[in-house]
Amino acid sequence: MEVAISRRKFLQGTVAMSVVGATAATSLLSNEHETPAKATGPVSFHNTKTSADKAHEVATLCEMCVNKCAALARVEDGVVTKLNPNPLFPKSKNMLCARGNAGMQALYDPDRLKYPMIRIGEKGEGKFKRVTWDEAYEAILNGTDKFPGLSKILDEEEDNRSSMLFCAGEGMAEHTFKQFYQAFGSSNWLNHASVCLQTVASGYGVTIGAYPQSDLDNAEYIIMAGANRAEAIVTPDTMDVFKRTKGRGAKLVCIDPRFTNTAAKADKWLAIKPGTDLAFVLALTYVTITEELENREYIEANFNGYEEYSTSVLENKYTPEWAEPITGIAAKDIYKIAREFAAAAPKAIYYPGRRSTFAKNDFQLRRAMAIFQAMHGAIDNKGGLIFGSKLALKEHEGLMPLYDRAQARAIIKRKDKEGHLGYDDCAVVSGGGSWIGWRNRFLEKKMPYKVRGMFCYKHNPMMNMPNSAKTAEMLRKMELVVTIDTMPSDTVMYADVVLPECTYLERTDPVKTFGGVEPSFAVRNKVIEPMYETKPVIEILKGLTTKISKPLFEVSKKHDEELQDLIEEDGEEEAYAEFDLTLPFVHTQEELNHHAVAMYIGAAEKLHKDGVFYPKQEKYYKKLAANKFQYYPEKKKYYSTKGGKPKTASGKVECVIASFTAKGIDSFPIWRDEYAFSVPKGKFKLLTGRHAQFTQSGTANNAMLRDLMPENFVWINKRVAAEKGIKFADMVEVSSSIGSTRLKAYPTEKVAPDQVFFVHGFGEESEALTWAYKNGGNDNKIIEDTIEPVYGAAAMHETNVEIRKV
Amino acid sequence: MARYGIALDYKNCINCKACEVACKEENGILMGADKHRIWVGVGEIEGQYPLLDLTSNVFHPSQCQHCEDAPCQDVCPTQATYTDDNGIVRVDVEKCILCTYCITACPYDARYVDDRTMTVDKCNFCTETRLARGETTTACQNTCPTKVRIFGDLDDPNSEISELLRTREHYTLKPHLGTNPKLFYLT
Repeated sequence: MEVAISRRKFLQGTVAMSVVGATAATSLLSNEHETPAKATGPVSFHNTKTSADKAHEVATLCEMCVNKCAALARVEDGVVTKLNPNPLFPKSKNMLCARGNAGMQALYDPDRLKYPMIRIGEKGEGKFKRVTWDEAYEAILNGTDKFPGLSKILDEEEDNRSSMLFCAGEGMAEHTFKQFYQAFGSSNWLNHASVCLQTVASGYGVTIGAYPQSDLDNAEYIIMAGANRAEAIVTPDTMDVFKRTKGRGAKLVCIDPRFTNTAAKADKWLAIKPGTDLAFVLALTYVTITEELENREYIEANFNGYEEYSTSVLENKYTPEWAEPITGIAAKDIYKIAREFAAAAPKAIYYPGRRSTFAKNDFQLRRAMAIFQAMHGAIDNKGGLIFGSKLALKEHEGLMPLYDRAQARAIIKRKDKEGHLGYDDCAVVSGGGSWIGWRNRFLEKKMPYKVRGMFCYKHNPMMNMPNSAKTAEMLRKMELVVTIDTMPSDTVMYADVVLPECTYLERTDPVKTFGGVEPSFAVRNKVIEPMYETKPVIEILKGLTTKISKPLFEVSKKHDEELQDLIEEDGEEEAYAEFDLTLPFVHTQEELNHHAVAMYIGAAEKLHKDGVFYPKQEKYYKKLAANKFQYYPEKKKYYSTKGGKPKTASGKVECVIASFTAKGIDSFPIWRDEYAFSVPKGKFKLLTGRHAQFTQSGTANNAMLRDLMPENFVWINKRVAAEKGIKFADMVEVSSSIGSTRLKAYPTEKVAPDQVFFVHGFGEESEALTWAYKNGGNDNKIIEDTIEPVYGAAAMHETNVEIRKV
Repeated sequence: MARYGIALDYKNCINCKACEVACKEENGILMGADKHRIWVGVGEIEGQYPLLDLTSNVFHPSQCQHCEDAPCQDVCPTQATYTDDNGIVRVDVEKCILCTYCITACPYDARYVDDRTMTVDKCNFCTETRLARGETTTACQNTCPTKVRIFGDLDDPNSEISELLRTREHYTLKPHLGTNPKLFYLT
């Protein structure tokens, strides 16, 4: 075995970059009258040593990715000097990853959005002028010579509130923004779901009643297929699983086309052809049935439609020998895994994973995985998939006025050849909608009415969904684009009005309940006051609604006959009370949080002080060793809350969902020939994915994280690269039917000869991002917009590419 | 007075580099990819796709070994490198003349140049930050998602690290050099 290579040699290989100092050459603030802001903290790319003295610490929650790990922010002289893990939180168990540790660089990033701005250049050009908050709100209401305001748009559209689109990324304050959307009265809402978890969450949801968690702390056998917990970190899963692999209590079988860090930490890695996991699960199911490895008793008590499904599996002869050429996994390995899984069950997990949709059959794959898991009765039990328990939060009332002129969601219904009613681009329209489906309909002029503007909160459609050329075209065609963000992202460049939100370390967010084996509340407390002129979204919306509420009510009065009648009956003042957009934002976030946990004595105070609360915490929480904490005593943990039963409405595992047939969707998972993996000669299947040092495009400008990974490289099989004369760090062009991107090559045996891979989130086009601008390759320029048929999710691994040295 | 060391449950390491960032932020390490006190070594993968050797791609977390017989200290002409009362090998920036003999002498490649002070820098077990404040873990141990490290006093028979080294098999790096490292890799 070759000894681990020297770190300095390794760095020579990765093209080490010096990142001392920074230049802020940008057209972001081209206004000549712009005055530089007075610095209120360190504003260059650097880091400081913590002092030798004790310092004030504020309990907060990380927002460098979606996990929300608990952190303690060390504050010295008003400056955050270190983020440490908060040991009190059962979900994150005293850890912060590389990104969590680098959160201060987001706070003190000199490129961050500092003031409200309005567009003065061409759309997408990135030329803005600095304005006051009032001027920004005024521009949203009444427009400028460059763009129309809400008054004009709503008046011209006769108070069709749905002529404005609302979209949001994941985050603790997404709910706050959604309240604005509801009060505004639009029915066009798009969130991250269709470029994120939609198919996995729904696949498990319709089959076993919920998207479950995994008790990786106690499982003895884990199949991790298409999930990469060593690099796509999920707490507590990542911490739990890797302490026990390699013959230390849990056997981890990693199934992935690519040799990931998870593969390196697994007990077995099997390379699978992309998009064929469904055939693998069906073959496991076949072995389980034919060898009678299933839990008969459980199935008889808890399944609907098992006969139909199992008969299909048998009659279609989904044997391991059938699956071998489809998946590339040897039949003998499939037999072995099916048997080992059954032997370990119910302490066995086919890991559900937590990722975006890769293949068009993803929903059926998730269903097959959930059914396979349930066949072993390994649901709602220690060491299996768990539902856990959740502490209840007290809801507060929102505002949902009834606008008579507001049109229903912009979805096209159609009848297919057999006369079945369906939607234009997918079978089921979920709450979060189909982002790329919506975008494409908008561009193809298939909207049932005009949608003329959008509000975009903490969301970067330019960088987070396939075919960025189309997204750019959509943003250019939107007459009024308002973005609320912390960074001048690629999407912000297309804004008409930019509203700068403060970073997560400068705001208190809604308290959140974290369900699971060890349930708790946790809260993000404000660490320092917002820098520059930034504000938390709740205050931004308070200011905005104060500006626009009455004038927009006037528009409604003009067009809305129902409202006119209401005013006649009740008087204008009373009628307005139902349309007063400011109402959801009357209280401060701190007040709302206090209210949300009011039924737990002492919770609000504890959350403010320690960031985490659950009943009997004082009694249960113990530090057992420097690295080990007890949150709940073993016998108090919520391994089972449903007596082992699924959470579906019927109380049964749903193998067959008959209503899908009418929508043209298979009512239970079957294999179809078109799912087979194939790549034309000379081309490669493009794979995308995550790694542990960046969170998609959200951290792309983080100077500290760039020390760990300066740019993304395209993985190409070593032998293929040699044939093509491509060497390490050679610049290559990767192109598909929709575009091309350039990045450096990493020839490796970790990827198959007919596939290439690179990490998502690099290659930004926004010149206002010093480090991220044109750094590495952008996958969304080349991933084709393939729409998954059930929920309209973006299928990320369906694109073939060519690669050439440039 | 203590004799500090670290035991590493290195099989837990997933190469996420949380330790490297925690170290940088805690100790104010110079920005730049080649400036760091702590790192994870990665072996080049062996075999041909899909028949790859899982054990070849091992992750090896490392930092200064705080050798009992430190070669870096032996070669330092100005005695800038010294061992303090807690057995921690340290660099006195006032005395360092950047002759870089120590960088050459270190068998573990644990030292680099801090361009701000133009002196040699390396891991000091957070002695000027966390230990100075009375904390009992290093930044790298505290932040680690999979809890690779256990820092503690090797002279205290009741410490967690002493207990671990009595009960778990372990090895040190390059023992044949006689440097007596105080980083112990648990197997």
